[in-house]
Amino acid sequence: MAETTFGNATQVLEPFRGIKKVTLEEYFTSGHRTCQGCESALVMKLMVKAAGPRTIVLGSTGCMYVANTTYYTTPWVVPWMHTQLGSSGSAALGTAAGLKSLMRKGKMKAEPINVIAFCGDGGGADMGLGAISATLTHKEYNSLILLYDNESYANTDIQLSGLTPYGAHTTFSPPGKVHRLIHKRWKKNVAGLMAAGHPECRYVATVCASYAVEMMNKVRRALTIGGPTFIHSLDPCPKGWDYDPMLSHELGELAIETGIFPLYEVEDGVVKYYGKTKAIVDGRPRKPVREYLLKQGRFAHFTEEDLGYFQGKVDEQWEKWEIPGVVPFRKLDAAQAALNVK
Amino acid sequence: MAIATATKTASEDKELLISGSEAVAESLTLADIDVVTAYPIRPYDTVMQAIAKKIANGQLVAEYIVAEGEHSQFEIVKHASTVGARVFCGSSGVGWMYAMECLVVTPPLRVPMVCLVGNRALDDPGAFGVEHNDALVVRDLGWLLCWIDTSQEALDTTLIAYRVAEDRRVFLPLAISADGAFLTHSQAITMVPPKEKVDRFLPRYDRGDLLLHPDNPITVAPQANEDWVIEIRRQNDEAMKRAVGVIEEAYADFRRVFGRGPENPWFEEYMADDAEIILVGMGTISLPIKVAIREMRAKGRKVGLVRLRWFRPFPFERLVKALSGAKAIGVIDRDYSFGSPFHSGVVANEIRASLYNADKRPPLLSFICGLGGREVTLEDVNKAVDMCEAAAKSGKADAKTHWLGVRE
Amino acid sequence: MSALICEVVYRGIFQKNLAARIVRGIVLSARKSERWGIAFGRYGDSPQRNGIPAKDFAIVADTKEELEQNMARYEPKHVDVTICVDDTLCKGVESWAWYGLQPINRLTEPNGTLLMTSLQPFEALLKDIHKKDAPYKLSLIRAKASFSGLWVYKEDHTEVRILGALAKIAPSFLTLDAVAEAIKEMEWGSELKVASARKAFDRLETREVRITEGNPEVPYAFEMPKWWEMREGVTIPAIPIGKPKEGGQGYVPERNPYFKKFSTRTMRPVIDFDTCVKCNLCWISCPDSCFDVMPDGTFDANMESCCGCGVCEAVCPVEDCITMVNESVFNDNASQWEAWRKDKAGYKTWLTATIGDKKTTVRSHGFRFRGQYDQELKQELESGGIEITAGIPGENADRKTV
Repeated sequence: MAETTFGNATQVLEPFRGIKKVTLEEYFTSGHRTCQGCESALVMKLMVKAAGPRTIVLGSTGCMYVANTTYYTTPWVVPWMHTQLGSSGSAALGTAAGLKSLMRKGKMKAEPINVIAFCGDGGGADMGLGAISATLTHKEYNSLILLYDNESYANTDIQLSGLTPYGAHTTFSPPGKVHRLIHKRWKKNVAGLMAAGHPECRYVATVCASYAVEMMNKVRRALTIGGPTFIHSLDPCPKGWDYDPMLSHELGELAIETGIFPLYEVEDGVVKYYGKTKAIVDGRPRKPVREYLLKQGRFAHFTEEDLGYFQGKVDEQWEKWEIPGVVPFRKLDAAQAALNVK
Repeated sequence: MAIATATKTASEDKELLISGSEAVAESLTLADIDVVTAYPIRPYDTVMQAIAKKIANGQLVAEYIVAEGEHSQFEIVKHASTVGARVFCGSSGVGWMYAMECLVVTPPLRVPMVCLVGNRALDDPGAFGVEHNDALVVRDLGWLLCWIDTSQEALDTTLIAYRVAEDRRVFLPLAISADGAFLTHSQAITMVPPKEKVDRFLPRYDRGDLLLHPDNPITVAPQANEDWVIEIRRQNDEAMKRAVGVIEEAYADFRRVFGRGPENPWFEEYMADDAEIILVGMGTISLPIKVAIREMRAKGRKVGLVRLRWFRPFPFERLVKALSGAKAIGVIDRDYSFGSPFHSGVVANEIRASLYNADKRPPLLSFICGLGGREVTLEDVNKAVDMCEAAAKSGKADAKTHWLGVRE
Repeated sequence: MSALICEVVYRGIFQKNLAARIVRGIVLSARKSERWGIAFGRYGDSPQRNGIPAKDFAIVADTKEELEQNMARYEPKHVDVTICVDDTLCKGVESWAWYGLQPINRLTEPNGTLLMTSLQPFEALLKDIHKKDAPYKLSLIRAKASFSGLWVYKEDHTEVRILGALAKIAPSFLTLDAVAEAIKEMEWGSELKVASARKAFDRLETREVRITEGNPEVPYAFEMPKWWEMREGVTIPAIPIGKPKEGGQGYVPERNPYFKKFSTRTMRPVIDFDTCVKCNLCWISCPDSCFDVMPDGTFDANMESCCGCGVCEAVCPVEDCITMVNESVFNDNASQWEAWRKDKAGYKTWLTATIGDKKTTVRSHGFRFRGQYDQELKQELESGGIEITAGIPGENADRKTV
């Protein structure tokens, strides 16, 4: 067991040094009623593969609850419990606090048990944001909250959430004769929000299952470092995004190569970029967003104007933000210049 | 469950001047709870303030978490309970409502959380005085519900609550209702037993095969459909039925260990044996009613009170026995149920339903009184008894529900 | 018959809009003869998932009373016509856990009709379709399975062809003229579509099926526990941990016995174990954990679990090492690795022939790029509307050389 600076023991989970060193055991196995090519299911598999058997998983309402357990069944090998839509934060906190109390009083054998609570973009960034925020302030309890983002309320047959991209087609934002775009909100920057707002949360990261080993190593880091931690995963969704399931892996890569979804981690306040995102920060040109957007039926109605707008917003993230891709803070002169131009 | 033997009784107890909330905090310390979550709302939260002091002074070792809202507050302890922690929570009024999504799932998940509901009017209209609707909202869902009316009863009932809720034959959540202000905030002499006695009465919480832990790999609450839900509800039905016997066992054991406590767990009968008029109510409404009854008895009027302790499971058989002999029954609801049969209160309708198949069905009058913290006065009680006496004479009650104490 | 009950069995999401058009089309066509009808999806199927079999229903009756007999139900007890819009579904339908594998013709009335879109010969289909304890008719419309997705629809006239065929099967409820009229009134209707419906009416092929014909296998089923047999607290046991494959090497996970998922497949991966470079990418990228790890470091896709998404083919860096092939080519869920180990040369021969057949490797699984469906339809119309042209290779085809 590792003693961390907070006196909480955690498991010591070493990073996998390459794909061939990844452990073979599956703690989330076959037999779940997910879509063909469901990247969120892949995230579940990789998440608990990284965490190992001494783990308790809490799953809030969403695809990874309903699809995995339809009906009265399970693909989970480790203990798993459902929790309410907005409760991933409270489930993580309650489970960790319960275990800690019992171990502290000698009512249960003391050992570090991973506590992971997951939520979708709807349950995490909309309804459950408050509860997650509260949990990230409790440095005395170890937990990982993993937000799997398929960019909609997918389980209820695709409605827009606070993390749905601008203009996307959902059942709450159908392109129509009078309004081509109903959803004009820009995606919330959740990982940045969590990192910026919770000074005692030691680890926040973004991941994508297309980069599986990196994802698993970040999960391991989160579980080893101690205290409450947060990971945001982008999951291409063949049902909601409307594409041939075999493209799931490729779309994950494209999201990063276009700069739409940055891969980074914030550990004790230090930002570190990963993979193709690091290349972008170092100057490699980003692929144009149209390469990614037009491979998905949910953007089939986009005009050149829409594509241009989308590209402009993504350009901003990399060209204007003080910490590119992470938080929308700007240097004074850039903001001043913007005022003058007005 | 081993039956504890009685030893010395009251002399080992400590005497304290404490409120209902503080009495509950004493019990929680004796019960060695593991996790408690707090969120401020009046009037229940005095219990959380009392627990905070206990923890700060080292009298109680527990995780004390201040949540950011009641939904999270209750969800946190729900999950702590599933890994085997003994938990406590509570709220009042609309705070309890904010937790509703959690309250509805704890019975099917068989989570034995013990909660204090400091009964408070639902606002708007803003008021933090007593009304019973907040706790009553969960009455169909599988919660055990009881009402207390003294600090002593608060202390004793909290210990009994853990004993009953955490019994594997039951494993249901339990809410103890305490009238806001009158019980939560006023202090009375209360006997607090020593820990050794409590340990003989209250076993450890053992979640058994339902424990969420890597050594017991289970999936809890997979998505179910029409092929499974009615079976799950039927299990809850059975558990609630079993709770009846478990409650009686617990009270009998309580008397043996602590040397005090009621013979009848379900309700308190005050001068009801030979009463011609019996009033029925829950909570601290009993106090002005008892005062009124003593005055009436002095004048030769045979009036009695049945103060209901347990609302769920509802003791319908015993109540019928206790009430059948009266010439008229007056139910005083400190709650409302708009549009219900006879536009009555909740308790009145449940008692009417309980009496439906009885051989003798005395006329039943329904009163609504004391809402939003309005005092129930002697005048109110006298009015109610007058109307009951008229009904007893004529043998018939009018079907109207009477609202007492309203300015009109 | 005073009521006509139809079910559409289809691939969830890929054919959701198709099924909705069919069942609504049936009700609106029958309305032309002043009948009453209802159209509905099966509640338990939702939320639908890509590829997982689902059902929609259309019920048409002479009177409102007869119609009412079939309302407030999840699923009719029997149907007159089972419409199957992907012929790989004829191997059986497993829609959720504890459902078991249900034959495609389970609800079909004795002497009812199983209507399918398929390019396969009758005899091939009857190897897959389970035996029924009553005779029925098998009717075929010669067409590819029509797949699109939630937002962009492929207007390949499948729904009108089905309606045209139904006019031949149940003429007393839907005349061809009524169908034509209803199509013209639809938002998605046109004269060209009416012509397709009429062509389907003319070209429909039908054959009687005897009780001796069909797949003799008894599909798996489950018995549900009673309320007092179920563990309390809505808890069920977790799946046990897996085991090594052989001699302490490799790994085979334990899998959920109540939901296997293989009936979700329209295509399955065919693996060349000789050219595999053991990069581990297929194994790690599979969302369904269906790859068993072999003692020699290669990976065997377990056919009881594979749902045919194709991600493995997309990520495999070796050309032709993993190739998705239409499910209709296969007769069982046997292990490819075991077959290869037993007879490597024979397996290679079989593999080369199988993945070389353009007809069965063509992929039509939904949206890939804007304008794709128009292009495909243009090609198909130009080539006569029935022939399958060269297939669309995997998106990473240009990166597949090692």
